[in-house]
Amino acid sequence: MAVAELPGGQFLLAKLDDVARWAQSSSVWPLTMGLACCAIEMMTATAPEYDLARFGSEVFRASPRQADLMIVSGRVAQKMAPVVKRLYDQMADPKWVISMGACASSGGVFDNYAIVQGVDQVVPVDVYVPGCPPTPDGLLYAVNLIQQQIRQGGRGGILARA
Amino acid sequence: MVLSMGPQHPSTHGVLQAVTEIEGETVMKAEPEIGYLHTGIEKSAENLFWTQASTVIERMDYLSPLSNACCYVMGVEQLLGITDEIPLRARQSRVLLCELHRIASHCVWLGTGGIDLGAISGFFYAFDLREKILDLTELSGGARMHPNYLRIGGLRDDLPQGFIDRLDALIEMYPRRMREMRNLLQANPILQDRMVDVGILSADDALAWGITGPALRGSGVAYDVRRAFPYSGYENYEFDVITRSEGDAYARFLVRLDEMDESMRIVRQVRKELDTPGPVMIDDTKYAAPPKETIALSMEALIHHFKIVSEGFRVPPGDVYQAIEGPRGELGYYIVSNGDNRPWRVRTRPPSMYNLQVLKQIAVGELIADMVVMIGSLDPVFGEVDR
Amino acid sequence: MPSSQTPPAGATAVDPTAVRPDIADARIIRVGPADLRATLAGLKADGFTMLLDAGGADYPGRDPRFDVVYHLLNLKPGAATVAAVGRPERVRVLCGVPEAEPVVPSVADLWPAANWAEREIFDLFGIRFDGHPDLRRIQMPADWEGHPLRKDYPLRGPARERSPRPNFALKSNVGAGTPASGRTAAALQKQIAAARGQAVPKDDAS
Repeated sequence: MAVAELPGGQFLLAKLDDVARWAQSSSVWPLTMGLACCAIEMMTATAPEYDLARFGSEVFRASPRQADLMIVSGRVAQKMAPVVKRLYDQMADPKWVISMGACASSGGVFDNYAIVQGVDQVVPVDVYVPGCPPTPDGLLYAVNLIQQQIRQGGRGGILARA
Repeated sequence: MVLSMGPQHPSTHGVLQAVTEIEGETVMKAEPEIGYLHTGIEKSAENLFWTQASTVIERMDYLSPLSNACCYVMGVEQLLGITDEIPLRARQSRVLLCELHRIASHCVWLGTGGIDLGAISGFFYAFDLREKILDLTELSGGARMHPNYLRIGGLRDDLPQGFIDRLDALIEMYPRRMREMRNLLQANPILQDRMVDVGILSADDALAWGITGPALRGSGVAYDVRRAFPYSGYENYEFDVITRSEGDAYARFLVRLDEMDESMRIVRQVRKELDTPGPVMIDDTKYAAPPKETIALSMEALIHHFKIVSEGFRVPPGDVYQAIEGPRGELGYYIVSNGDNRPWRVRTRPPSMYNLQVLKQIAVGELIADMVVMIGSLDPVFGEVDR
Repeated sequence: MPSSQTPPAGATAVDPTAVRPDIADARIIRVGPADLRATLAGLKADGFTMLLDAGGADYPGRDPRFDVVYHLLNLKPGAATVAAVGRPERVRVLCGVPEAEPVVPSVADLWPAANWAEREIFDLFGIRFDGHPDLRRIQMPADWEGHPLRKDYPLRGPARERSPRPNFALKSNVGAGTPASGRTAAALQKQIAAARGQAVPKDDAS
């Protein structure tokens, strides 16, 4: 973010885009999309040892209308895939998706009839987190990457206005 | 009015769709819909070697993964006929890890149960206690969850240096942490208001619906697989089976809290025994891979290791039902072998599925706000319900 | 690495339940669908208040093809102490279900626990339960075709079934089922057949 201080005064000068992106990246609120084991590590990431809230993700919102980050944490079963898609569609722009864990990224250990081989077959994904399950550190890093992506201008360089 | 709670809901403890018919605020009918996490674990297990199958089986009850693995390997050991040859230290470590994972699972239950009611502080205390147990799991098995540490015939490796010291530190901090959590939640009038006389389950109903575990013991039946059908040396340890007679959500709450204390009592007894060193894997070379140190020195050991890893071993044909007391109830595996190096069928007896089914009965007549309390008091894990 | 296409490692039993080792895990009763209800109702009247589990198994080489396995436990509702519970008795009832007519009477009225268990067996094996109040799929989506836990259902599902191994991988697969083709593979086949003392396959110019 380019900030310039005007001489002789207590003013900061910056582009509106930069300020908007700084605000958005500092308060990314995830949707509660906990599916399986990764959901437990996601909950642990909000627990005292790892504390996701210090990065701005103060609350997990249950309603997709109020969330801007969907963390798909866990294996996506055939029955659940349309639900994931529907929730993604219900989220308001701008929205981002983290595919947490091996199962969400590629089907993981479960190369069989019941699991969708990667949630990116259902929704577009911004950051993939490897691990089975990834440690909460991995999820914190993924959220940091999302924040970087937001500050650099979002997907395809286009960031929808709030 | 028909209301669909879930499958995405912050308080259903996973992907449950509880289709509820309500009249005002009273539930007239509740029909839980499951299958949103169906993973085909049983089919995957049929296509993996006996040792590899425990990796997918661990992912059923993901709050206490080593319990699943323990039950499965004990079942296969029965089919192989080597149950009596499992080394003492391996049996003690299995008991230790199963009890630690029981405490860890109850920590998640306690934390999330509190959050469902708005008591968010309990979550932080409970998950911090769980962190200490995950540290121990990571130290011994290599991963925080799903370490795949248990093997058919014993353990993969002995408990590492530093494990006992950390275990001692956990044993020391545990009473204070439990006191803090009990002070926050147990006598809390709001929690009692929300849990007492909610979701009452009689003993007759519990048996008819196949309920086991803390939910059954909260209704007065003292069935605990560790006492009724002792396994892995549980007959050598002193612990009480906690029961309550009221059968409501608060009774199940108290049973689980006291069960955590009993688990720690077992952990303290096992810890004293772990001072004695010993082997952790059976000697039988058909099932045990040779120790890593010998592989670089001996051609036979290298070939043996190669064959065990690439071909597995064959288990004589037969079927067996092995059950343990998991954190949710009787976790059982009906394992069928047809003589091959892969399981033929691994049917899971999922305690959470039967525990959850009773929601159809106990929810009728309760308020919609109590649905969350009742689901929490039954403590389902959807990895196990749906498999 | 095992896969759904790897053949078994050696001689295997067609009916493992008939040749099981002497493990004292339960009293085992084998019935057919016709006497299933009578047997289970009799056990319930005898004090087996708890149906722990009902599950299915598929033995395609055997007739009857399927097994529905019921696990029972005789717990008393008034058993409020460990001493009162004692060591309950376990019973395992195996009901052989033929492939041609995969219908079994439902026991959901004897034990409500059986409701979902029978739905799951229907969903994953295709065995129907006569008299079940609400027999529909439970794990798979409602419009799913096929019964996944049957042995002839591919592991990855019909849409994703991997094609058979390509020709260049034949050397490791000789004699395992995929027919060899090509001159080198054919020569190898002949050598192996000769070594095993089997009839040497004819030369098919391909």
